[in-house]
Amino acid sequence: MGSELIIKNLHANIEGKPILRGVDLVVRQGEVHALMGPNGSGKSTLANVIMGNPKYEVTDGEIWFKGENILEFSPDRRARMRLFLAFQYPMSIPGVSVANFLRRSLEAVREGNKPLEEGENPTGKTTKRKSIPPGEFRKMLQEKMRLLKVDNSFINRAINDGFSGGEKKRAEILQMALLQPEIAMMDETDSGLDIDALKIVADSVSALRGPDLGILLITHYQRILNYITPDYVHVMYDGRIVKSGGKELALELEEKGYEWLKPVEEENEVGVNG
Amino acid sequence: MANDLGSPSRRGTAGHTVPQTASIKGPPSHSSPLSPLREGLSRSAVEELSRQKGEPDWMLQKRLQAWDAYERIPTPLGRRGDLGTLRAFANFKFQQLSPYVPSNGNGALPAVIEQSLQDALVDARAGLVVQRNASVVRVELDEQLKKAGVILTDLDSAVREYPELVQKYFMTKCVPVESNKYTALHAAFWSGGIFLYIPKGVEIEDPILTQIWIDSPASAIFTHTLIIADDESSVHYVEEYNSSFEGEQPSLLDGVVEVYVKSAAHVEFSNLQDLGQNVWHITNKNAVHEKDGSTTWVMADIGSKVTLANIGAGLTGNGSAAELVGVFFTDRDQRYSINTLSLHDAVSTNAETQVKGVLTDDSRVEFGGMIRIQPKAQQTASFLSAHILLLSSIWADRKCRAEAIPGLEIGANDVRASHGATVSKIDDEQLFYLMVRGIPQDEAERIIVQGFFEPVLQRIPLENLRTRLRRSIVRRMSGAYETEADTWVDAQERWEVEGVDEYAVSLDKPKEAEEILLTEY
Repeated sequence: MGSELIIKNLHANIEGKPILRGVDLVVRQGEVHALMGPNGSGKSTLANVIMGNPKYEVTDGEIWFKGENILEFSPDRRARMRLFLAFQYPMSIPGVSVANFLRRSLEAVREGNKPLEEGENPTGKTTKRKSIPPGEFRKMLQEKMRLLKVDNSFINRAINDGFSGGEKKRAEILQMALLQPEIAMMDETDSGLDIDALKIVADSVSALRGPDLGILLITHYQRILNYITPDYVHVMYDGRIVKSGGKELALELEEKGYEWLKPVEEENEVGVNG
Repeated sequence: MANDLGSPSRRGTAGHTVPQTASIKGPPSHSSPLSPLREGLSRSAVEELSRQKGEPDWMLQKRLQAWDAYERIPTPLGRRGDLGTLRAFANFKFQQLSPYVPSNGNGALPAVIEQSLQDALVDARAGLVVQRNASVVRVELDEQLKKAGVILTDLDSAVREYPELVQKYFMTKCVPVESNKYTALHAAFWSGGIFLYIPKGVEIEDPILTQIWIDSPASAIFTHTLIIADDESSVHYVEEYNSSFEGEQPSLLDGVVEVYVKSAAHVEFSNLQDLGQNVWHITNKNAVHEKDGSTTWVMADIGSKVTLANIGAGLTGNGSAAELVGVFFTDRDQRYSINTLSLHDAVSTNAETQVKGVLTDDSRVEFGGMIRIQPKAQQTASFLSAHILLLSSIWADRKCRAEAIPGLEIGANDVRASHGATVSKIDDEQLFYLMVRGIPQDEAERIIVQGFFEPVLQRIPLENLRTRLRRSIVRRMSGAYETEADTWVDAQERWEVEGVDEYAVSLDKPKEAEEILLTEY
């Protein structure tokens, strides 16, 4: 059986303000889920909370992955379990080359899910980490770069430093291709791209699609779904998934917008204490 | 006569004092056993030191005047509201330390020093000086260079053999005795020391390596480096400070470096300070440039408990230039106060100062970078940038603190000068990004730190020094040598070999500093 990401009744705050108000969702390997919803509905927060961003405080609920409740796991451990997040705004890290970073990242992910003491690295303090020979790594990387039609000069550059918007998104997908996650979340990977860049990104995702990869595609436009056909579509509104359906739901949203999905009881809840 | 050198049997027996009757009639060589002074810092200790060394009267008088200046100059205490490094030093009871702990130059060096020489920053070298505690214990110089007239010796010997040079240059114009309280103390008690003279037109290709080694607790060590690069000469000079003694009894290293750069000469001075955290460290370094003379300074500080560093570039010759690259890393309760001065006092001079530092744990750093442009220094260009990174984040809250204060005093009107200084915390989102890629938090910190340092490390001319620094920083951060620290650094090196990395570092474009243009006046 493939890996499952199971989210149960997830509540999370940022700076005391509730953003997620009871999310339930299951994503399995091999499935493509589109998570849609208006700005501020909590889509990015959900992705960040699933990866363990400490900016957010989980106040209730559970996140299960491969049969473990990962809520207390550090982000790196979650990544080593082969959860992946393609960021909406990837950070640039000056002075660190993409090649070195990706190699280190791949080595870490290959270490797998080991419970680590605080401050301990995946190899422990005394043994040398199993490193990937640069030649072998380079071959792997170049293969992925050919698949995704990424220019060779990419790997020579510092991580996301001076990258254009489109380059950053493609760099995220390149990392996804290399790290071979079981469940990948793609946070607004389509935003800020012109139609040509969008096609390249969509083609890349399609190329990676397969029975070993589950995808949670976060977007608020239907546009990318013309190129990537989802198995399921979910609509998020005010921190909850208010409607789920097949790919036709996306078209319905395109036509009708989000307002009709606004939950009625929401008004009452907000109104309790004025 | 010459072998009546006091009481060698007392050496190493703590608590005993040297008999005042010890006397020296002939000049001792640096290989002779001398007696340690254990009475603390005093005027009579100055006299005794000079007597043991058999110094000429002019040097004794210079020492005594310096002692008087030391007693007269008030202890510097810093500004109100600063981070307290100077006050910490003022509370350090160095007056109780042994001001003179000579080492026997005969025979083998301790294994730790031999090992360090093996691992030293430079493979090929034109010369070597090792100072252990108060004594120079090894001097080597390439035969060809000797024939060409290059002089490399300990400063004690130079006082006897080249008195006219030492009298003219030793703590006169470059770092005057009374620059501050600690330079005065240094002048009173300096011992051992390095003297390098490069004659006109001689260009020394391989680096000259010097090591200052402290392996004696509760001692005050005063090393002095005097470099005179005559017209159109050049040298790469590397100075390392290390220590290897255990325990809580601290020692003091109060060093002075003076560099005279004559017309169109070039001196590249690289310094790695990796002292143990039971050493208190003061350094005053300055260069005086004549017409078209230039220097490149590389200052790397990662050790010591407390460091007070004053680094100067005196651009007193028309067309002279100085470049300073500074790197530091502090952890635990280390405290640094680093001050740089670009002093423009001639026409058409250039200075560029670039400092990057990282703090973790409870350490504190004060950085002051001053650009001073005198009225006659027209057509000056002077730039300074200092960027300090605190390893305190949402993941690891630490109490490290830093302040960076750039200063600019401009007396001329045809000047281009800019300065910029920042102190910032490591970026939580950068850390999260790396962790989401599977990299544990402590290693993610190291990667960001390496990326932060890399552009400035690239400016260090000596490849070996770069590598050594990378390793030292990573080792300090990870507390281990054999784990992923090595792998990361090695990976970097291997990629470099394959020519993949060469553009990676150039992308960290320096942020636009605030620029002050005064040409319109």
